[in-house]
Amino acid sequence: MKIVVLVKQVPEADKVAVDPETGTLIREGITSILNPYCEYALDEAVKLKNTHPEENIEIITISMGPPQTKMALLRCLELGADKAYLLSDRKFAGSDVWATSTALKEGVVNLEPEFDLILAGKQAIDGDTAQVPAEIAEQLGVPQITYGVKVQIVDKKVEVKREIETGYQIVSARMPALVTMSKGSNIRRIPSMKEVLNARKKPLEVLTADDIGIDENKVGLKASPTQVARIFAPPEKVGGEIIDGSDHIVAAKNLLEFLIVNNYIKE
Amino acid sequence: MVSNIIISQKEDCSPFEDVRAIKGEEAILSTHQDYCIDESKLAGGYADWLFFPKNERDIISIVNKMKEDKTPITISGARTGIVGSAVPTCGGAILSFDDMKQVKGISYDKDTQKYFVRIQPGLTLEELADILKYKRFSQEHNLDEEDWVQAFKKVERGHIFPVDPTEMTAAVGGSIAANASGGRSFKYGAMRPWVKHLRVVIESGEVLDIERGQYIAVNSKFIIKTSEKDIEIDIPTYKMPEAKNAAGLYAKPDMDLVDLFIGSEGILGIITEVDLWLIEKPEVLTNALFFKTEEDAINFVKKLRSIENLDIEYIEFFDKNAFNLLRSRRKTNPELANIDTIPEDTTTAIFFEIPFSDDTFEEIFVTLDEIATESNTSVDSGWSALDDNERDKFRKIRHAVPEIVNSIISKRKATYPNLHKLGTDMSVTDNHLQDIMTFYHQTLKETTLEYVIWGHIGDNHVHVNILPKNMEELDLGKQLYKEFAKKAVEYGGSVSAEHGIGKIKHEYLEIMYGEEGVEQMRSVKRKLDPEGLFNRDNVFSFTG
Ligand SMILES: Cc1cc2nc3c(=O)[nH]c(=O)nc-3n(C[C@H](O)[C@H](O)[C@H](O)COP(=O)(O)OP(=O)(O)OC[C@H]3O[C@@H](n4cnc5c(N)ncnc54)[C@H](O)[C@@H]3O)c2cc1C
Ligand SMILES: Cc1cc2nc3c(=O)[nH]c(=O)nc-3n(C[C@H](O)[C@H](O)[C@H](O)COP(=O)(O)OP(=O)(O)OC[C@H]3O[C@@H](n4cnc5c(N)ncnc54)[C@H](O)[C@@H]3O)c2cc1C
Repeated sequence: MKIVVLVKQVPEADKVAVDPETGTLIREGITSILNPYCEYALDEAVKLKNTHPEENIEIITISMGPPQTKMALLRCLELGADKAYLLSDRKFAGSDVWATSTALKEGVVNLEPEFDLILAGKQAIDGDTAQVPAEIAEQLGVPQITYGVKVQIVDKKVEVKREIETGYQIVSARMPALVTMSKGSNIRRIPSMKEVLNARKKPLEVLTADDIGIDENKVGLKASPTQVARIFAPPEKVGGEIIDGSDHIVAAKNLLEFLIVNNYIKE
Repeated sequence: MVSNIIISQKEDCSPFEDVRAIKGEEAILSTHQDYCIDESKLAGGYADWLFFPKNERDIISIVNKMKEDKTPITISGARTGIVGSAVPTCGGAILSFDDMKQVKGISYDKDTQKYFVRIQPGLTLEELADILKYKRFSQEHNLDEEDWVQAFKKVERGHIFPVDPTEMTAAVGGSIAANASGGRSFKYGAMRPWVKHLRVVIESGEVLDIERGQYIAVNSKFIIKTSEKDIEIDIPTYKMPEAKNAAGLYAKPDMDLVDLFIGSEGILGIITEVDLWLIEKPEVLTNALFFKTEEDAINFVKKLRSIENLDIEYIEFFDKNAFNLLRSRRKTNPELANIDTIPEDTTTAIFFEIPFSDDTFEEIFVTLDEIATESNTSVDSGWSALDDNERDKFRKIRHAVPEIVNSIISKRKATYPNLHKLGTDMSVTDNHLQDIMTFYHQTLKETTLEYVIWGHIGDNHVHVNILPKNMEELDLGKQLYKEFAKKAVEYGGSVSAEHGIGKIKHEYLEIMYGEEGVEQMRSVKRKLDPEGLFNRDNVFSFTG
């Protein structure tokens, strides 16, 4: 069984800042990490591999990004992926969600046509659209299940526990299918020394658009129907109101009054 | 030419009125109170003057004027010190380095084939690290004709300053005056060996320009020629411990003059300019291994440091109690999530870092695998990290221990406002590592005291942190502290391996060097600063 995990390298979220004058990202000093939700997706794949030895699961990670994305892929190999592909080419630059999805779909079709399951993060912590996996599923014509927290393989089907507003839902689909992962019970694990060593011996291939036979008119800026008009930091929140808690009865009264006055609750 | 005689330089000074200053005790206490205290929280600091010099000329002007007015000066770095050495308990003037953060330049020494930076001492370690990381140098930073700035920028891996005290907001000047050190001091030593050159303003208002290697003691003497007199300095005769040490003045018969000022806690003069050596950033593998018993962990440490070609960067230790603290917070602190992946029967952790290249990686792994197995653990259950993001997770876990300790103490302070933790800072020689650890545990276990032990085990320098629950326990802890100091000295170590003596550890210095040793330090101070102009009551009490 083959599980493809789509992974994206992103700037570390809490450190990203927007230059208020130019409206561009301040990149100096920002380190790049493996998108946490992609890491959870990978961890879920590794769990499946460990719990289903009979399936002989192979985990393949694919990413599209600049050459330094190799670092994120190396991390995937440390955490248990068996092989990694990086789609890296100037022709991909400026891709929006649609073009990104096209490139990744072409990557999957060309590199791992026999895939059984695709796992992806529920969203990337930088772009945050949560649309890429959905579009890939559409382009591939496979079922998709989003916001998964636990994935199981039951009777050749994929069974996913997924988050919904009011709790959880369990959904299953025939394979091949695509599942996006939320956090679930996964953590961002620190690998062992052996895993770190072994990762450096696993295959990590960097491929261009030509290598996988992607039509260059389907990807990159030209093939992107949407454009980012402007990015800006949200206005800073003003400090809240602090209610003196030294007398709890008075404090409770004041809090009640505050909630009523501001229309948060009705009398 | 090498000599033990140095001639001080008379330099221009700024008009005193032009130096930025705040005058008056009230003004200082109302708006700049934090300049009267440091991280020791030692109370009683006050001052009539608070100066913000911009350069050496300003400092000379301040020194001349304060000398004339018989006003003592307390030199103030970033005040992260934890022994009260920057607290102006004698009043007078505070000389802050806040406005002296300039990077003067960068150059390359062809003999040693190393780069060095020239900076003002107010620059913090963190700021220095950033400047090096992002190579923030322009053409004006070339110290001589050759374009070393360009060459420096071309080195792809970049350069670092390798000494890494935990508190990176410390200023370089304060760190030199305290001879600070960090985890990496296991490999690189404390600040001392990285200081290539200092400029120091002495009590006469003149400047000593000291290049390492140029002024070496002869017959345990230095002669400093000022415009007024020849000062003959007798180097103290005590023998310094052969272990990490930041207690008292550096003293060796054939020592370098620059070493007299490094670690002197500012009692001999004011450092105004510094040259620091740099190294190319090494590629390192960061690891943590987990052990069932402390003995296993200590055996592992001994083996690890005995294998020279591993060239270990640092070795840090967490005992069972420290580990339990981490476990107790793993549900509430997301940064501790990985604690759950550690084998259940773990009691002790060792963190260490190894430089590697693609060629040596496999070999290192085999070696570590072997000594881990001999120490009853396995590299499979440990953690490793190759890149800076991953390393950051390790750092956060390591730092969580002191943070949890502090939060426990601050809760107890609600009931006992004067309660504080007791943190030891003692080192011993290599052969006494197991002895001192056994002594710490045995002594503490006989009491009800809560404690954790963690720290720089590579240098046989762990911090025993005692967490008293009430004032009686605090007193008991203080008694034990003294016992520990005596034992550390007995085991060839230091009563203060990194934090210094300052104003609160005088009695321990005496345990280490005796009254006579302290008296010899005092006489060096009297020769260089007879009126006690600089940093009174640091290292030993000032007797006018
Ligand atoms: C600052 C900024 C500037 C941008 N500028 C432009 C622009 O100029 N022009 C433009 O057209 N678009 C631009 N974009 C959009 C950018 O192309 C999207 O980030 C990209 O399409 C992915 O969408 P997402 O980040 O929302 O991913 P999501 O859909 O939120 O990601 C969900 C999951 O999809 C998978 N995935 C997403 N991207 C990849 C990838 N590259 N490789 C492998 N797997 C992936 C991962 O599993 C991920 O967890 C910009 C985005 C940002 C943040
Ligand atoms: C959380 C925490 C962790 C710490 N960890 C470590 C650690 O790992 N290792 C370690 O060694 N220390 C540690 N320390 C102690 C402290 O950070 C160091 O001693 C630090 O180097 C002091 O630098 P500073 O600039 O804050 O100096 P200050 O506290 O301002 O001053 C220290 C001494 O230097 C003198 N001084 C300052 N500038 C000059 C100058 N230009 N010329 C002459 N004298 C001067 C001062 O008068 C004073 O005597 C820690 C402190 C804290 C709060």
